[in-house]
Amino acid sequence: MTDPTADLLPIGLEDRLPAAARALTRARRAALDAMDAHGYDRVIPPLVEFEKSLATRMSGVATRRMFRFVDPASLRTLALRSDMTVQVGRIAATSLASAPRPLRLCYAGEVATIASDQLDPARQRLQLGAELIGSDSAAAAGEVVALAVEALIAAGATGVSVDFTLPDLVDTLAAKALPLDADRVEAVRRELDAKDAGALKDAGGETYLPLLYAAGPFEDAVAKLAEIDAGGALASRIEGLRQIAARVGGAARLTLDPTERHGFEYQSWFGFTLYAEGVRGTLGRGGTYRIGGSDEPATGFTLYIDPLIDTLGKAPAGDLLYLPPEHDPAAAARLRAIGWRTRAALGDNENPAALGCTHTLDGNAPAPL
Amino acid sequence: MVRPKRAAMRQPLTFAVPKGRILDEALPLMARAGVVPEAGFHDKGDRRLAFPCEDEDFRLIRVRAFDVATFVAHGAAQAGIVGADVIEEFDYSDLYAPVDLGIGKCRLSVAEPAAGAASIDGASHIRVATKYPALTRRHFEARGVQAECVKLNGAMEIAPALGLAGRIVDLVESGRTLVDNGLVETATIMEVTARLIVNRAALKTDPRVAALVERFRELAA
Repeated sequence: MTDPTADLLPIGLEDRLPAAARALTRARRAALDAMDAHGYDRVIPPLVEFEKSLATRMSGVATRRMFRFVDPASLRTLALRSDMTVQVGRIAATSLASAPRPLRLCYAGEVATIASDQLDPARQRLQLGAELIGSDSAAAAGEVVALAVEALIAAGATGVSVDFTLPDLVDTLAAKALPLDADRVEAVRRELDAKDAGALKDAGGETYLPLLYAAGPFEDAVAKLAEIDAGGALASRIEGLRQIAARVGGAARLTLDPTERHGFEYQSWFGFTLYAEGVRGTLGRGGTYRIGGSDEPATGFTLYIDPLIDTLGKAPAGDLLYLPPEHDPAAAARLRAIGWRTRAALGDNENPAALGCTHTLDGNAPAPL
Repeated sequence: MVRPKRAAMRQPLTFAVPKGRILDEALPLMARAGVVPEAGFHDKGDRRLAFPCEDEDFRLIRVRAFDVATFVAHGAAQAGIVGADVIEEFDYSDLYAPVDLGIGKCRLSVAEPAAGAASIDGASHIRVATKYPALTRRHFEARGVQAECVKLNGAMEIAPALGLAGRIVDLVESGRTLVDNGLVETATIMEVTARLIVNRAALKTDPRVAALVERFRELAA
């Protein structure tokens, strides 16, 4: 008797069967094409690297969540990548250190984590993204947000919504405008992030309360933020936000939540999160940051499009042409060249419809089954 | 009033409320915010778990307190009401608690037998019976103590007397249950009130969720 547990996949890992694989492949290609069309060159970093090299560029990103093992060749610790952004950062800081700036790179590949997220059991995900290296200006951020929205729409998302945030807001304000004891900064930041007005007061962050209400549709929220702006500490940031919003225009719904910090551990002045209609969680995020090690400014985004596939539903398989035994190979080749997919007979007495075919080759022309 | 066509077609927001203690205090507040379930909600014979509301934009579900947080964190419900104890226990990253409703006041406390917990505790660790293993572990960890938690779903007050655990961590309202079971409160972990919670993605993408938060904020102010 066979053991039914022998072929179980580990938790958080799954096969993509033809219909889902087709949808995911199509979405991935469309998103990559969108980035390529805007002059972002693709790089393909390796699956496994030395842990230390990944870790130095992952400030705030836990290496504890990576699959790690010892390299029999070098006897150093290796890690399976859990985020390709740091690999692109390494490339920019090493092999392409002397390439002219701004440098535009994009990537797509699988990443894995050893432990799943509290809310998302997946331990392997497809990551796509683009990095604009050498600038973290509002112009760079505008280009990156617009590209992220375009790539997401190309991948099939509808009703895209972008939430802007200011990741270093508390640090900026705590320095002077809304002074805060150093030992309270972390607690205030945490409660702002959780939007917990009660706990924020308890943590001694009462002066930060108005920031909680400066969230919502972009125009309203940025106007509220401008009212709060203590001593003009945020003037340049607000101006930057307006510039970015203007660049994105009507391509997506825009919201602002200046205190959102979730997932922005290593971003500097600007960050954004991407959502789409019908998808429960986030589809990606991005922002401005400094590459660990070289400290070069950069702006980029990352998309995780797997959840999109579930809402896109099965991609239609399209027409499939059955090639009977003894068919004319030249005719079949001609039809493939104009876009037909064909499936050739291996023997007699096959049932083309049961094999998924919609047409059969009749002489030189396809005939519907 | 003629509703815009789009409003009539869109999915209602799912609002999760806990069974029991908090609910009676929450219902009048919800009513003032415009969330009023149909009459069947108050009928004990009605076994449904989801109820339409007078405002078609809402649907009410009644689940266990811990499940309120889970439904909202996963985005299966967009908003809900639950105690701060539950929010802290899970510490879900996709959960916002934007409004302190000031109802359902109580505290989460450590309690032990009047004679002390020494008979059951080991030298390097202590054993605690609780519904809140994560909060309990964090509380004792911060004091350099490793707490071994025995997860119970109710009636923890009985655990010390039967030798299951040296102390308990539980919600305390009046303290009556503790006294009746020969326990004394030794520390308060946190003060608890009920919060309006919302799902992160829903707040960002659905303007109705932001409007709901705004209404509750005005009521709580």
